[in-house]
Amino acid sequence: MSDFVEQCRTEWKRLGVPDSMAEEMAADLASDIREAEADGISIEELLGSSASDPRAFAASWATERGIVPVRSGRANRRRGRLALIAFTGVAATALIVAALLLATGEPKVGLVTSGATPPPHFLGATASFVPPPSRVQSSAAAPIEWILLCLAIVALGFSAWLWSRWDRPRVPMAPA
Amino acid sequence: MQCMANEGRHSQMLRGVLDICLLAVLDAGPAYGYEMTKRLRERGLASVGEGSIYPLLGRLERDGLVETYRAASNGGPQRKYYRPSSTGRLALAVGVSEWRAARDAIDAVLAPVKIEVVS
Repeated sequence: MSDFVEQCRTEWKRLGVPDSMAEEMAADLASDIREAEADGISIEELLGSSASDPRAFAASWATERGIVPVRSGRANRRRGRLALIAFTGVAATALIVAALLLATGEPKVGLVTSGATPPPHFLGATASFVPPPSRVQSSAAAPIEWILLCLAIVALGFSAWLWSRWDRPRVPMAPA
Repeated sequence: MQCMANEGRHSQMLRGVLDICLLAVLDAGPAYGYEMTKRLRERGLASVGEGSIYPLLGRLERDGLVETYRAASNGGPQRKYYRPSSTGRLALAVGVSEWRAARDAIDAVLAPVKIEVVS
């Protein structure tokens, strides 16, 4: 089979054209090219300028036949929407958790940058939870609740921006 | 440069009527891809310009203007044959009528033009 037909076949596979249809088009095209060459007609005479661009030719043929699946684009859009819903959910949960932690007035817990031992009053205040001394300490400078709150607000803002763009009508692409 | 411009016009004109030309050669009897090319050449259309007939056949098939079936060509492999559907015959009749009207109008515009070749 000619290199031209092989390149067409590769393009049809890439576009997701069903195998049976790609096989049929490839076989017909190969037979036509063989018969034309036997009659002294070159592939350039048979296919015009398309002969120099097999991928464009293959894409054009499949598109005009209406056999290029459009579901891949829809599936990507559905996956994107689910990811955005999940992201919004996580951001909203983080906001609620941070707000509850701030509202309860429990001792603030911050990340430790050195291996300092927590002071005795910290251990006394939390009877049910004793964090490892090498990981946490009481912190008034950078309470994790405030960091979480800020991150959640930023994430929700970003999420709102994405939703506003998502709902915009898309201009359909012109057929090739 | 002038030659390239003429080729462009030729391609543009063909693009608008090639579907009618394909339906016309299919009206003479079912044919497969290359057979249609041969019929076009026999009727004087040696080149189909920038495109090729295959994508156009795909569109005619998608639009229901041609019907297809597979059969062995003369001693050769199985080929996909095309023939005009009833809708395709109607489209051919309308297309030919439109072409003739456009051709007559353009002829009327171009008729007074006198072409003199200076050697």
